[in-house]
Amino acid sequence: MSKRKIEKYAFGVGRGLILAIYLIMVLAPIYWMFVTSFKTDKEIVNVNKITFWPEIFTFENYISLFKQLDFGIYLKNSLILSLFTAVIVLIFSILGGYALARYRFKSKSVIIGFFLLSQMIPAVLLTIPIYIIYANVELINTKIGLLILYVIINAPFCLIIMRSFFERIPVSLEEAARVDGCNKIQALWRVIIPVLFPGIVAVFVFAFIGAWNDLLMGVIFTSSAKNWTIPVGMKSLIGKYNVNWGELMAGGVIALLPTVVMFAFVQKYVVEGLTAGAVKE
Amino acid sequence: MTNKKGIRTETISKLSQYEPYFFLSPVLISMLIMMGYPLIRSIIMAFLNYQLTRPNDIYFIGFGNFMKIFMEDAHMPMILLNTLKWVFISVGFQFLFGLILALTLKKPFKGRNIYQSIVFLPWAFSSFAVGIMFRWCFNGEYGVVNYILMKAGIITEKISWLGSSELALITVIIAMIWIGVPFFAIMYLAALQSIPLDIYEAATIDGCGRIKTFFKITLPYIMPTVITTLLLRTIWVFNSIEMIMIMTGGGPAYSSETVTSYMYTKAYGTQDFGMAAAMGVLVMIVLMLYSGLFLRGTRYEESGDF
Repeated sequence: MSKRKIEKYAFGVGRGLILAIYLIMVLAPIYWMFVTSFKTDKEIVNVNKITFWPEIFTFENYISLFKQLDFGIYLKNSLILSLFTAVIVLIFSILGGYALARYRFKSKSVIIGFFLLSQMIPAVLLTIPIYIIYANVELINTKIGLLILYVIINAPFCLIIMRSFFERIPVSLEEAARVDGCNKIQALWRVIIPVLFPGIVAVFVFAFIGAWNDLLMGVIFTSSAKNWTIPVGMKSLIGKYNVNWGELMAGGVIALLPTVVMFAFVQKYVVEGLTAGAVKE
Repeated sequence: MTNKKGIRTETISKLSQYEPYFFLSPVLISMLIMMGYPLIRSIIMAFLNYQLTRPNDIYFIGFGNFMKIFMEDAHMPMILLNTLKWVFISVGFQFLFGLILALTLKKPFKGRNIYQSIVFLPWAFSSFAVGIMFRWCFNGEYGVVNYILMKAGIITEKISWLGSSELALITVIIAMIWIGVPFFAIMYLAALQSIPLDIYEAATIDGCGRIKTFFKITLPYIMPTVITTLLLRTIWVFNSIEMIMIMTGGGPAYSSETVTSYMYTKAYGTQDFGMAAAMGVLVMIVLMLYSGLFLRGTRYEESGDF
């Protein structure tokens, strides 16, 4: 074999090895959480033996989540908050993204700079004055209070993403609609929005996942179980002396489900959205 | 008339001058109320003696909170060091693994799409879920990591990963690297795929080897993306504390506490809002200086707004 062939062969093998090792690294912890959630307590906390598949396959962890804990309430709260966040952020992003993509105005760069700067403010720093403000207007320990925070946290990034989707749509398309007698809002609604579908999906998923995954705001601003989301409710399980690993893993699996499903179906759009702002082609 | 970016350049009538502000008003107004105003208040608060437990004892103390941070707090040197480790080790390995993954994914192979959807998954995962997942894997008594290491003969006794002050931080960093690699890989893969193929063909004809091609063509081409992602992630990792909250709570004995997580501890543990605000203001200044220097140092010009 020539030197070049050997080199090519070596690179091929190396590449396959890297891909295989990385796949194992990603799957191993997920698999471990998944398997643990179907084991009995006795099997989970056995110091001497570790089983890679449940000896006794059981759903008891999942059942006790809903029976012993208020997991049903956490799940409902998480779903409602994430859906509302996604819808509101989507509206904000479509309007704002349109403005930033289609108009040239004086304070445009200032506003974009403001969005960029907002990403540098540590969230914990903002929660301190907001905690005092919320205490005054009685928004502490409410779902509305959380919803407002989720919208604010996710809106700037989503708006910028939406803007880059708008920039890909030729202005001529919009102008054609205007010629046909649509006003700007009608043109936006009837012509642009349908073409914008990938961007809408991406932003919806970003905002939904952003709210769904939050732990910090929930921990700081909600204190009673009726307002807890899944991460906050599950966190209350840790910190006690005996961590119930089976239940915790079952809760973790449920917490991952919507993100996995969303990602599986719309990964193309999500990747497109994520790279739209930063990778200029 | 439109320019190449598709922005209207025709003269705009008086009324439509206000249109963009109208469209932007929902997000701008809510950001002013929920970010602008609180930011100003927290900057003021950094100069106040403000303990939530003593609401009648609030007064101006100048740089008192900052003195408390640097002079009176015995944990601070360790926490600052932790913060550096947290940011640079996490981001460094996320970057390295993300770049390697993107390079190996660049050429198509059978099943690449499915492979991608699996390995990119952690991007969408919550710190909470990943935190408990790794906490369970690295559990001192029942953890699978200890089991495998013992079976492989690497260790002879079980290690208390999260219970030891030497290993707690690094264990959280491992979880942080795991969750962060996909972001870099996604970004770099997109950047790599935007490189025109004929450049590579030309390089092959000119007799460039693989290594030379990488440093002379690939790397310069994806540089803008590298800069944006490194900057974004550094800020994000610096400000992120959920993984620490879930896995160690900053312990044992502050050994896995970063400046940002310590700020949380000060604000909601000891309820010293003044000192926490002062720390937050310092973090923000550091991040802004870092961004400015980073962008200048890398001669960053036009690689997007974010």
